[in-house]
Amino acid sequence: MNSNSIIVSNLTKKFSFSVRNTSSGWLKNLFSPETKEIVAVNDISFSVKHGERIAFIGPNGAGKSTTIKMLTGILFPTSGKVNILGFDPTKDRKKLAYQIGTVFGQRSQLLPNLPLTDSLEFFGVMYDMPEKEIKKRIAELVELFDLDSFMTQPVRKLSLGQRMRAEVAASLIHKPKIILLDEPTIGLDVVAKKSLRDLLLKINKEENTTMFLTSHDVGDIESLCDRTIVINHGVVMRDLPTQDLAKTFVYEKYIDLVALSHFNNFPELPEGMSYSSRDKNKITVVVDINKMSVQESLKKLLDLFEVEDIDVYNADLETVIRHIYERDSTSN
Amino acid sequence: MKEIRLATKILKTLVKDRIQYPDKLVVDTIGVIARCGILLILYGYVFKLNDGVINGTTFLFAVWSIFFYFSFSVLRLRDISGEIMRDIQTGNIEVLFSKPISYLSYRMWWQVGSGIYSFVIITIFATLALIFIMGLPSTMTMSIFIPTLILTFICGAILSLFLYSIVGLLSFWIEDINPVFWIVDKAVMILGGSYLPVALFPAFMFKIALWSPFGASQFVTHTVYETWQINWYQLVGIQLFWIVLLGLVVYFMFERAKQKVSVNGG
Repeated sequence: MNSNSIIVSNLTKKFSFSVRNTSSGWLKNLFSPETKEIVAVNDISFSVKHGERIAFIGPNGAGKSTTIKMLTGILFPTSGKVNILGFDPTKDRKKLAYQIGTVFGQRSQLLPNLPLTDSLEFFGVMYDMPEKEIKKRIAELVELFDLDSFMTQPVRKLSLGQRMRAEVAASLIHKPKIILLDEPTIGLDVVAKKSLRDLLLKINKEENTTMFLTSHDVGDIESLCDRTIVINHGVVMRDLPTQDLAKTFVYEKYIDLVALSHFNNFPELPEGMSYSSRDKNKITVVVDINKMSVQESLKKLLDLFEVEDIDVYNADLETVIRHIYERDSTSN
Repeated sequence: MKEIRLATKILKTLVKDRIQYPDKLVVDTIGVIARCGILLILYGYVFKLNDGVINGTTFLFAVWSIFFYFSFSVLRLRDISGEIMRDIQTGNIEVLFSKPISYLSYRMWWQVGSGIYSFVIITIFATLALIFIMGLPSTMTMSIFIPTLILTFICGAILSLFLYSIVGLLSFWIEDINPVFWIVDKAVMILGGSYLPVALFPAFMFKIALWSPFGASQFVTHTVYETWQINWYQLVGIQLFWIVLLGLVVYFMFERAKQKVSVNGG
């Protein structure tokens, strides 16, 4: 049996739209408009194994959502192939839908006026599950997602955190083999985010559900995903284990210097070092370790400043990701 | 089988929704009473001025014909255009496209479900009220009336859904379908007999009402006339012709539209 859940080969999506040419008349603009083409996804390839947890990240307009929509059969690719669990989403959208679950963080699939239990039963029927199985699965999801306290409330009266838990539960009613999540934690507070992440991890462990998520939230990536694919300008820039993401791209070290009394002046730093932030109590210096070692930079800093405490650390994942985006933008 | 089960679930769910929020029923009832009531008062006056008969039709027939139009309109099948446009404009279509359903058939059943509760309640009570106040024309007591009414009602509902789905599907190509919707909707209203009962139409208008899909979608308004007994099969035949033709148009439009889907952020 193939160990891959998702195989994407040379996938491209171009959008074309008509643009108004101000130098042409309205008749020409109406019947023979100029068209502009945007390449949203450009020849990307990757595969995902059963049970893997993938973060598919990139800045706004990078092509994340377009890719996820091609994986689900919502959008038709311009060229290239997608194979999900042996199905071609463009030809077998309905058959594939039985095997996958989707959560679009900014849209709701639940019935707003009715209690959550009605929505879950509704989706059970939509996925052609027998009545007995629907009831059993709802009971499982209620326990797993701790939905009991708000099962009988109309969905529109739920808090955002409760609603997102309910959305994910609804997506899992048919025990999908893959769940595709498009920014599932958008707008949630820290507590609700953690709760949702814990639930997704639980689902992955207990039901071996493959997870493919797009997110701008570094916390989602760090705590949920064991592999990260970075996409920008429609091209896959990096594809590596999440834990290697920070290591691979850390060519910078951060050094915090806490003043013994006060920092009175801020002299120019030698090449390879620059100020990240500075005030009379604390200075943060960024060291480019390709140009200067940590040891050498510490020596130079101690010559320049009188300090009470020193802290040396790597950039956090958010900074690393920002660097990747910025570097990719300037290189394009 | 799966489709029937899902359709039944949609209808049950939406009826439950409407029962829980009865305000929509109140609004629909007021709407029918106001629109239908005003027209009937005006027609009552006009018929009186003409000694109770216009174009060989009495007020009693006109009342029931207009009532059938308004009763049918409570189903709000026309709103499917706006629902499809909203799905496309808001991007909600991606949620429905990710489910194992046929989008259009789901939308059609949803539309029927949205109006069926108000339709049943209003139709039952208004029919009883009309029988009590006006009485029944002889044509409505004939054995053929109920079966052919149901037949033409179902055909009219399918035809309306197809007609307005075509308008809705235009959203894939043009940003604002409202002008097209306005033209189609007014054509249906006029040729369907909402302003003027079809029996009072001049000959050429009657022919347009008879042979166009706009008028055919409202043939339920013809059922009360004496001519219905003779030519009901011809009218149902016209409806079936348009159902097949518009059904094909809907199918091919949707096949093309699927490839044009574009949602914000992809």
